[in-house]
This record gives sequence, structure tokens and C-alpha cells, in this order.
Amino acid sequence: MPMIEVSNLTKRYRDRVAVEALSFSLEPGEILGFLGPNGAGKSTTMKMLTGFLPPTSGTVKVAGFDVFEKPLEVKRRIGYLPETPPLYLEMTVRGYLKFVARIKGVKAKALTGEVDRVAERIGLTQVMDRVIQNLSKGFKQRVGIAQALLNSPALLILDEPTEGLDPTQRAEMRDLVKGLAGQHTVILSTHILPEVTNTCTRVLILNQGRMVAFDEIQNLAHAFGQTDHVSLEDIFLKLTAA
Amino acid sequence: MRNVLAIARKELSIYFTTPWAYVVFTAMIAISSFFFVAMMDTFQQVQDMARTMGWARLPADYTAYKNLTDGVVIQLWGVVTVITLFVAPFLSMRLFAEEKRQKTFELLMTAPLRPSEIVLGKYLGGLGVIAATLGLTIVFPLVLQLFGVSPEGQPVLEWTTVLLGYFGVLLWGATCIAVGMFVSALTESQMLAAFLTFTVLLPWMLLRGLARGAEEPWRSVINHLSFDSQLQNLMKGVLDLKALIFFASVILFSLLLTHRTVEAQRWT
Repeated sequence: MPMIEVSNLTKRYRDRVAVEALSFSLEPGEILGFLGPNGAGKSTTMKMLTGFLPPTSGTVKVAGFDVFEKPLEVKRRIGYLPETPPLYLEMTVRGYLKFVARIKGVKAKALTGEVDRVAERIGLTQVMDRVIQNLSKGFKQRVGIAQALLNSPALLILDEPTEGLDPTQRAEMRDLVKGLAGQHTVILSTHILPEVTNTCTRVLILNQGRMVAFDEIQNLAHAFGQTDHVSLEDIFLKLTAA
Repeated sequence: MRNVLAIARKELSIYFTTPWAYVVFTAMIAISSFFFVAMMDTFQQVQDMARTMGWARLPADYTAYKNLTDGVVIQLWGVVTVITLFVAPFLSMRLFAEEKRQKTFELLMTAPLRPSEIVLGKYLGGLGVIAATLGLTIVFPLVLQLFGVSPEGQPVLEWTTVLLGYFGVLLWGATCIAVGMFVSALTESQMLAAFLTFTVLLPWMLLRGLARGAEEPWRSVINHLSFDSQLQNLMKGVLDLKALIFFASVILFSLLLTHRTVEAQRWT
């Protein structure tokens, strides 16, 4: 059974089309690079996949559950990092992560362990007792990612997770996402193409709300040039030029 | 239930780490102290007059000043309800508006939570902070109990009356928060939420004034719907079942509307 199955997903705002007839599916353990120029509908799609935004038409199924018929079953299996990390600025990192763990259904006994596990994995241990408001942008972003990883969801939807990180942190994030492959299915949107080449098994390119490519990177490269030297950047520029 | 408590706990921890709650506490205590002192003064004057002239020769409505319960505490509760009307919108305004503005609403809506759990959790948090605000005012009857004097054989305060009135005050606070939470769910702007809540609560409170100029049966209907007339009996320490049902329905209705609004998020 596919981890996520999207069929004919469409979102319209009056006469403006944000996403048009998007269909794709992912097997467990795959990492999808979700690409497209600004305003292509990436964030809108991600919001629909998590059940935050209702689609105009089409369906999304996560582990066989329809997002709108069985929202709780779906939400239990999803970790989501929105475009803007959803942080309570007044709380400490520890207080915030504990709260998220609680509403994600982590048992009271396992709470501290789970928070510490994720904090260590994301490199937050030294800022745990600081108030989120006072953290640097990079740390705020990391708290946002940590929040998505709590309770080890089967499907991770990350909207520009490397935004605001410095090159070292970005490299760490790449390793982290790579490390998630196999156990988690990941949908990752980003503007930094080398990141995709390094981490993702497949890419989906969205342009003006329509899917213009959904394939493995090598296959795309073959389709667009004779050699393997064609970079993802060239493909991206070609497909989204309109 | 666990989820409800988790949200309530988060709300309270945010209330008590931001200055808002403390500003409201200070306002409540400062303004009600001012009225308390003024009422004590009046009470003293009437008592002095009664001592020289006798109660019989004073106007009839002065009889309230025969004891501290009716002369000071009941009147103070009336003032506290008015202060609550002004400060409660500042407590309820952030409940949903802030989540939307800070984009944390996405976290709540994509976590495995039912909309009803979000609404109840937030309402519990709001109740906690309004209870803390109003809890401060119990200090006034306590002061009277400690330092007040009464004629031989009579208690200083009629505590059943005092506490029933206080219960009315709390019920009123709970109503303000419920209405405020609903308004907060409608907007992203906290200031707008506070202002709208206030413009809903104040005319509703003052409906009774409108009733005077109205014909029957409208007069009874308006009177019945007015917060002020419903509060009257409760304030006096009469356990009025009608008023209880009235406030419980307003709270329930507000919670249902909030629930609808949160749920509608999934369809717009």
C-alpha cells in the first residue's frame, strides 16, 4: 500500500487556480523533492496534504485513510513543518516540545524521553531552557523541525526546512533527512536544488499549479540531455520557463 | 480529556509569562480597591447619620447600609462585574486570534486533535485566568471579616449571601470569556477581537435601559435577555435558577459557535 496517494487534487480560489489536478503516490521510505518557483502552489499543496486546507476537489489518502473522512488517523501519522514554523514565542524550547508531544499523543511516561531524543537528533540540547523568542532564526527553524519529528510520524511533510539555516546546518539537515529514509516517507520542498540531488529519490516539479515532472532525477536528466551532465538546475529552469 | 488539559495548560503558561495577565490583575485590584474605599466611606457616613437620627428617619433605600453585606459587599460585586466587562475582552482576545496571526493554528489543526478538544482546552485556560483575576477580589470581604465590627450577636458578614453573589460574579466572568473566545475565533487581529467583544458585551449588559421605553411583550423579552437583569438576583445572593440557565446557555451557545468556526476552517 502506498504511504500517500494523491489523486486529482485541485484548489481554486474563485477563478484563480492554485493547484490543478495533481496526482502522485509514494511508497513507504521514499524521499520526494517537491520543487517549483515561488507561487507555484507548493505550500498550498502541502497544506492540503496535511488536512489544514480543504481541496476544491480530489482526494488525499495517507496509509489508506482519507484526509477528510478520517482526519485523526491521518494526522496521527503526519509530522508537518509549515512555511512559517508554528512556534509559541513565549515558551521555552522544552515547554514547547513537551506540549507538542502531548497533543501528538506521546504517553506521559515517555514524554521526557521522546523530547530529549528529538532534541539531541536536531541539536537543540544546549538551548532547551531558553525562550523561543530569543533564539536565532536557525534555531527557531530547528525547533520547528523537531516539532515535526516528535512521535516518529510515518510521513513527514517539510515546507522549506533548510530556510534560514547556515551552510553547516544545511549539511546537517541533509544528513538528517537522509537518515530518515527507509523508516519515514518524506516530502520536502526547497529552493536549493543541490540539496534535492543529494537527498531525494524522486522529484516532483510544480509550475503554475500543474505538475510538470514527477520522476527519478536520473531519468529526468536522460530525458533532457544526452549525457549525465545535465544538472537538476537546468531541468528546473527548462520546465518552469513559461 | 488529556488533550484538553494539555491545551489548557499551555494557555495558562502563556498567560502567566506575558504581561497581559498581570496588567489585568493590577487593573482589577486597583479599580475595585478605589470603589471599595469609597463604599466604606459612604457606609460610615450613613451609619453615623443613623446613630444621631435613627434609622426610622432616614430614606427607605438607606436600609441597605444597616450591615456590611448589603451595604458594601453586594454593591462591590456589582462594580466588579462592570470591571470584568472591561477587562475580560483583553484576556479572551488572544485565544484564537494570536494562534492565527502566529501561524501556530496550523500546528493545532494538523495535530491529532478534535476541534472540540481545541475549543474546550482554550476555554478552560481562559476560565483559569479569569478565575485568577476575580479570585483577587475575595480579599475585600476577607478584610471586612477580619477588621469589621458588628452589633452584639450578629456576624460581621452574611457569608452565604457574599459567596452566592461571588458565584454570580464568577459566572459572569465565565460568560464574558466564552463570548470573547468566539469573537477571537473570527479574526486574526487581537485588538479587533477585544474591541468587538466589548461592543457585544456592553450593549447586551445595558439592554435593560432599552426595555424601559418598550411595550409589552417586548419589554419582558428584552428584560429577560439583558445580562444586567439576570445578574441582579444572583448578585443579591438569591440562587436564581432562571439566571443560572440563562448564563449556562449563553456559554454553551458561544462554545458551540466557536466549535463551528474552528470546524469551518476545514471547509473554506
